[in-house]
Amino acid sequence: MATAVRAGMRGTALVRALQELLGAKKVLGTPEELLIYEYDGAVDTATPDAVALPESTADVSALARFCYEHAVPIVPRGAGTGLSGGAIPVEGGVVVSFARMARILEIDVPNLRAVVQPGVINLHLSTATAPHGLYFVPDPSSQKACTLGGNVAENSGGPHTLAYGVTTNHVTGLELVLSDGTVVRLGGKAVESEGYDLVGTFIGSEGTLGIVTEITVKLTPLPEDKRTLMAAFPTMDEASETVSSIIAAGIVPSAIEMMDQLATQAVEASVSAGYPLDAGGILLVEVDGARDGLDDVREKIEAICRAHDASTIRVAATALERERLWAGRKGAFAAMGRLSPDYYVQDGVIPRTRLPEILRLVKESGERHGVRIANVFHAGDGNIHPLIMFDLRNGPDELERAKETSIEILTACVEAGGSLTGEHGVGMEKNCYMPLQFAPADLAAMRRVKDAFDPAGLANPGKVFPTPGRCREFSLAARR
Amino acid sequence: MRATQDRVAPADAGECAAILAQAGAEGRMVGIGGGLTKHYLGDAASLDIELRTTSIAGIVDHVPADLTVTVAAGTRFADLRAALARAGQFLPIDTPHADDATIGGVIAANANGFWRARYGGVRDLLIGTRVALTDGTVIRSGGRVVKNVAGYDLNKLFVGSFGTLGVIVEATFKVLPIPAAEAGLIARFGTVSDAFNAAAIIARAPARAEAVVVERQPDGWDLVVSARGDDKTVARAVADARHAAGSSAESAAVGDRLALARELPARAVEGALVRVALPLASQTAFAEAAARRDTFRELVADASSAVHRVHLVGEDDAVAEDAAALVANARAAGGTGRIERRSERLRERLRTWPHAPLGETLMRRLKTQFDPAGILEPGRSPG
Repeated sequence: MATAVRAGMRGTALVRALQELLGAKKVLGTPEELLIYEYDGAVDTATPDAVALPESTADVSALARFCYEHAVPIVPRGAGTGLSGGAIPVEGGVVVSFARMARILEIDVPNLRAVVQPGVINLHLSTATAPHGLYFVPDPSSQKACTLGGNVAENSGGPHTLAYGVTTNHVTGLELVLSDGTVVRLGGKAVESEGYDLVGTFIGSEGTLGIVTEITVKLTPLPEDKRTLMAAFPTMDEASETVSSIIAAGIVPSAIEMMDQLATQAVEASVSAGYPLDAGGILLVEVDGARDGLDDVREKIEAICRAHDASTIRVAATALERERLWAGRKGAFAAMGRLSPDYYVQDGVIPRTRLPEILRLVKESGERHGVRIANVFHAGDGNIHPLIMFDLRNGPDELERAKETSIEILTACVEAGGSLTGEHGVGMEKNCYMPLQFAPADLAAMRRVKDAFDPAGLANPGKVFPTPGRCREFSLAARR
Repeated sequence: MRATQDRVAPADAGECAAILAQAGAEGRMVGIGGGLTKHYLGDAASLDIELRTTSIAGIVDHVPADLTVTVAAGTRFADLRAALARAGQFLPIDTPHADDATIGGVIAANANGFWRARYGGVRDLLIGTRVALTDGTVIRSGGRVVKNVAGYDLNKLFVGSFGTLGVIVEATFKVLPIPAAEAGLIARFGTVSDAFNAAAIIARAPARAEAVVVERQPDGWDLVVSARGDDKTVARAVADARHAAGSSAESAAVGDRLALARELPARAVEGALVRVALPLASQTAFAEAAARRDTFRELVADASSAVHRVHLVGEDDAVAEDAAALVANARAAGGTGRIERRSERLRERLRTWPHAPLGETLMRRLKTQFDPAGILEPGRSPG
């Protein structure tokens, strides 16, 4: 892979200098140590020159200051579960791991807030707040591993964000270290702060505006009760039309997830969640809130499912049954290893009424390019996740066909008034595709934000924005 | 009202951007207005051009089954509300000045009402914008989908920016079906702590209330609660609220009462109106101290989001002193505040933002990036 050439300290000189700056225990630099930081949950890889393991905001600030003075790219990394290459040091430099900044600093029950360090694992926060009847709403499928710092960087979603919103709707305060080492506090425990919404502007910036060192999040009362149902349909068409009908009926479930037959079969082989293997499409629908109205809503949903020829409808009778239904969904990506050694997960979004047509297009595109595609996704949000399978052992041609299929699907999403990515981020996987969705002026406005926060361009370079070197080939093909 | 020389009302986004580009080249100061309902915001500054968005109006696209609507920014909020109601839907923002405010103004001023905790605020409901910039371009951010992380979330940057970064020309929002049932409840408390304690319980209750408002009355503190949803959920919400509020609680139609409370900024012409956002648990202490100020006249609190407005009336010196003290109280409690409105006489003495906001340096850099000539809304930039 071609990397941008940038003058600045690299290699063993950088490792030695950082060890002197932070202490030997906070810096990794041998080839064996660096190897495990060259990948994340996506496809691309690159080896860092050094890995820093800061223990405090002061460490991060000193590190950033040093990198600023020596022109070293700085790439934050949570748990490395990201699906767009956000944590990959594509231009080299320092990867900053938050493994040692992983404390819950405060659970503030009266104010419904928690203050955490970026390395705290998403699920650990909700586990810690559960005794108070509270939880942190965003629940990415990787929530057993992914960190809150990563959630802030990627503006992570998850199945239950349909009714309650994504990360940006649940963060009120941040402490940042800018790429020149400046420490900035933004927001706090109040619902808003004066001036521009810098917290909202920063969230989802994928490490390209600076590094998060502390996060103040909203905690939400756990729902009093839930109803979870699984409905199986003869084909994906009926399943996706059911989703449109539920939304159009004005029902706002906490989650509507969808899975096709290929995905269902892989999941069943892996976790046996009890999904029917002969169904063309499966929906997992959950409603939550006050107990009183829930059964009425569930009955309405069941009626809509039946009207669209659902062959099976199963309502979870116990918490254990509910967990089993969800285990299938949350374990779906992991189960895909049974189908194919490699896959691209796409993350396009479309207006919800366009779901049936986009799913037909996904299928046709896969067939035309001769690649297998499984679908497991957040149907209620219109956020599709086609898993486009390939096997590198069969040569580069298969990867190319997978990429072509990806571009075709994403183009269709954008043309339907949607987006390239709903929750996985742009990173280095889709930055070349940004011109599909954004005109030059749109990207120029984003660049202005980048220049305000990171004028030196050292914060996670090579991400989000199209890069001339890597994207030349693609921009010729882009439609505008 | 601010004195201006020229008044322009561009017909579309492109014309709007061209006006901004020319003003930038000539270094002429531009004020931006929609319905001019919130003309009182910000500090005194002289303008060369008053740009009205009112000709950039109309529903651009409404797909009821997607629960989204795209609307030109000069559209009156009331007109959007009527159009959505015809499809049985609503935009869940109970903004002040709702009769005359425009969509662009609601976004630029981040003008939330009491429903924020229930449905989300402007920043949470806004999923797409088109904005005219001073370089003459019209940019698009977000889209018509409810989930989107492609590139930076510039929508957030423009919410509450008071027109200092660009002119919002179009917006896309999430909308909801109009709920089938509604109910309300009013309770009277002798002490401020009882009122906010009850409000806190109601705000956290499983059948989520739509508005939980505390108001100072001459002989106590009133708690006003409204709930909307399906029949059973509303019944449950009211039952829980009644339980939390105790014996004084009475069922009531609260629509007019809440509208009056919401319109406090419209009638706070004299003296000063202080607006603060607090940590939830700091509300009792703040409200109690506010009500003890000599110039205190009225307090309206969105108790579920902890946003309070305090109207102060009296001698200028006393009002200025009390207003500054209340903003300082909010800051000391870990919140923030501003002087939202004040009489013309107090305009010079009471700055909108008495203190630099957190992140001021970054805000200045963003302002320079988006408006290098510094022509947009002088006097409304934070910091």
